[in-house]
Amino acid sequence: MTTYPILTILILLPLAGGLCLAPVWNCRKAVRPIALGFALAQLALAGWLLFAAPGMPTAPGAPAGYFLWEDAAWIGRFGIRYLLGMDGISLLLVTLTAFTSVVAMLVSWRGITERTALHYFLILLMESGIMGVFLALDLVLFYLFWEVMLIPMFFLIGIWGHGRRIYSAVKFFLYTLVGSLLMLLAIIGVYLLHGDATGVYTFALPALARAPIAHAAAPWLFGAFLLAFAIKFPLFPVHTWLPDAHTDAPTAGSVILAALLLKTGAYGLVRFGYPLFPEAARGFTPLLYVLAIVGILYASWIAYAQEDMKRMVAYSSVGHMGFVALGIASWSPVALSGSILQMVNHGFTTAALFAMVGMLDERTGTREVAAYGGLWGKVPVLSFFFLFFAMASAGLPGLNNFVGEFLILVGVFRTTPAAGAIAFLGIILPLIYTVRLLQEVLFQTERRPLQLPDVTLREGAILAVIGVIDVYIGVHPKPLLDILRVPVALLTGVAP
Amino acid sequence: MTVADLWTIMPLLILACGSVLVLLLGAIVPGRYGTAIGVAVCAGAALWALQTPPQPMAPTLGVAFTPFTRFFLVFSAVTALLSLLLSHDHAIRQGLGGEEYPATVLFGTFGMGVVAGAANFLTLFLGVEALTFAFYILVAYDHNRPASGEAGLKYLLMGAVSAAFVAFGIALLYGATGTLEIGRAVAASVAGGGIALAGWGLLLSGLAFKVSLAPAHLWTPDVYQGGPTPVTAFLASGSKGAAIALFLLILPPLGELGPLRAPLWGLAFLSMTVGNLAALLQPNVKRMLAYSSVAQMGYVALALLSGGRGYEAAAFYAVAYGAMGLAAFGALASLEEGKPLELVNELRGLGYRRPFQGIVLAVAMFALAGIPPTAGFAGKFAIFFAALRGGEVPLAVIGILTAAASAYYYLRVVVNLYLKPADGGGSGPLPTPAEAVCLGAVTLAILLLGILPGPLFDLAAEILR
Repeated sequence: MTTYPILTILILLPLAGGLCLAPVWNCRKAVRPIALGFALAQLALAGWLLFAAPGMPTAPGAPAGYFLWEDAAWIGRFGIRYLLGMDGISLLLVTLTAFTSVVAMLVSWRGITERTALHYFLILLMESGIMGVFLALDLVLFYLFWEVMLIPMFFLIGIWGHGRRIYSAVKFFLYTLVGSLLMLLAIIGVYLLHGDATGVYTFALPALARAPIAHAAAPWLFGAFLLAFAIKFPLFPVHTWLPDAHTDAPTAGSVILAALLLKTGAYGLVRFGYPLFPEAARGFTPLLYVLAIVGILYASWIAYAQEDMKRMVAYSSVGHMGFVALGIASWSPVALSGSILQMVNHGFTTAALFAMVGMLDERTGTREVAAYGGLWGKVPVLSFFFLFFAMASAGLPGLNNFVGEFLILVGVFRTTPAAGAIAFLGIILPLIYTVRLLQEVLFQTERRPLQLPDVTLREGAILAVIGVIDVYIGVHPKPLLDILRVPVALLTGVAP
Repeated sequence: MTVADLWTIMPLLILACGSVLVLLLGAIVPGRYGTAIGVAVCAGAALWALQTPPQPMAPTLGVAFTPFTRFFLVFSAVTALLSLLLSHDHAIRQGLGGEEYPATVLFGTFGMGVVAGAANFLTLFLGVEALTFAFYILVAYDHNRPASGEAGLKYLLMGAVSAAFVAFGIALLYGATGTLEIGRAVAASVAGGGIALAGWGLLLSGLAFKVSLAPAHLWTPDVYQGGPTPVTAFLASGSKGAAIALFLLILPPLGELGPLRAPLWGLAFLSMTVGNLAALLQPNVKRMLAYSSVAQMGYVALALLSGGRGYEAAAFYAVAYGAMGLAAFGALASLEEGKPLELVNELRGLGYRRPFQGIVLAVAMFALAGIPPTAGFAGKFAIFFAALRGGEVPLAVIGILTAAASAYYYLRVVVNLYLKPADGGGSGPLPTPAEAVCLGAVTLAILLLGILPGPLFDLAAEILR
């Protein structure tokens, strides 16, 4: 089965879909189904991999854990290779990407009335870029996809956004660019130092990770990687682009931003940051703990004060990603599995929340908490889903986020009890703002006479599917954890 | 001079004779075939150069035909060809005509070819002056706009001073080493003492002007703004490429940079910071791109400073920047009708009204900002790679930070193109076929060099071997 370049197809299929939109560029009716068709095909491919993967052996020529592997020369002069690989971690995130792209298309099905083709083209381009990030194992190739992701998101926010959309788009772009350019220098630094030490000049991750750099510059290089990833994460105090970008982005943009772009930061740290610099990373662990915990507490506190629902969800994202960072910092198998699972969970749940805020906004034209009230009586189905996803996000046991947070906390308690104890507060605080949100929006008396119809079939279908996934992961996370077991064990150096 | 010598320099002869031919023809059938002949001559010179095997130098002429020469000659001819394509319809729209224009472009290209082939300092000087002289005329060519003449005059005055610097520097090097042959003179100058050092100082100052490295960049914004936009495109691509070629001729024989390291470091540092900071708040799009070119040349200086792989990176960047310059200024030129485009915000909403030029301009901006997958990224990668390898860590960090800052002003163009409503903003003509061919070609080149830069990197390594 590995005779087909499946990984390349995963990267190029959405791009091909984007190009297929060109002939029908001005026909909105044709653009949407074609784009959705490609996204669904991609999802089918990813879904098939998800089911087929557990039985697959390690690919020929690949390091342990990678069941799909593609390797070709690319830029010979610099030893850059076209190196793609898929292990359990990539697989979960690739599936999440494929799923979220479909969701992003569906939630903007009606909302986008202008420049529809461009909108769908950008979503597909984005999907290609993110797929590349999750699959690339050559540092330069990874960097290329990492930057390519920026461009479609910049346009998505800037063209279809609200409010100060241009400011937010530019801020998003520049913020992330500063981090990633320093990472580019660090990538070159890794290449040179590793080559000088071992005589093998390469940008390929497996070779680089086999002989980590012992040079005195290693902490600086790791710092550059960490900065780039922390900005994407986003970790306190470099999170300030996120509320702006989220608030001003269109719904599809918010969904992709929250569900996928933030994950690339965490993924980068797991895949590249720690394996490349195990020593330096250990030195940074206390800092990462502090940033993660401060982020969790601070974001929850700020979220409580938000009047704009989208901003509130955005800050809650910062808090949840703080948990992910916490699990990575502890670097124990349990916590790391929890972190990666939590990345997936957060992707589903927050995508749903942003989609719901978008639905409310589409209906009433406002996202202010104070404008709503008494929705439970008026739109029961919508209210039910709102309650469901808000509680999932707050970590209600039985739903997916709880599993991730629980694993992270268990892992962290074992390695660093103090950090675990403080982080426990982070489980309680989200409940406070979530309850406030639900109380004000769903249960109070009606504050403004808003005309809102209940969910349509399309919206209901999106929410129901995500809801089922949330419940499934919540009660039966074992299949996903099984997929993660081998790669996590290999990363943390514990026998699987 | 033998017949073999003539064959060797045939591409140069084609360009020179083509230039004269265009002028003569102008006297017989005025205003008809200038551009067509110019394009044919450029294509002919490029093709001839491509199929000519590298030769040892033609001794009596002071011109060699090495792989290096071939590379830069073809590059110059192609940029000239594309600039001519851009100029033709632009000139019609702006009410300019005459055979002088294509003839001068060909003459300038001839100068670039001579620079690329120069084997001794005298030929080098003549080549540089021939090329700069052509640009004095081209910049001042738009007789309907006083600004154009003013720019030409400024360029001429500053250029004359820099030519004097270069000439005096060459004289001192000759005095110190006793030879004009570039390789030997440069190698001997290492032990040439104070006089050779003074010669290098003058030479560097003069050349800093040619590539517009800060602090010798002051002419750049005025000339870029004042000159007709297709000329600016040619200036940014062809002339900058020739200037980089010039550095690549005289620096590698040095081996170690030695005392030249400090001034080059300063030039690179100042160009990257001053260029990028000045462009940050510049409302005029052509001036902004002029400052951007100062900054871009700062990156090239960083590459030159790093030696070794840096020279390859500089050669690559000459081509990459050529494509980006042609795309950026070419797209602007194709949007001009009557009044030249001035302000960045005159581009409001143009990305939708003129999708083709919009895409070209946006790709050029992302490339200049160094975002993958573009030639700009591949070039910057090679430059920073060489810089770190050469141990220039502080300057590389400064460079990368200024590059991050520069993204702001490049984005401003994109923001105006796509993110702002076109409320009364400017419009522009649709691209003519010639412009479409030229802009399409350079945009494809930018993307192709970003996705598959390998062959050009290999070629750059080969010509500098």
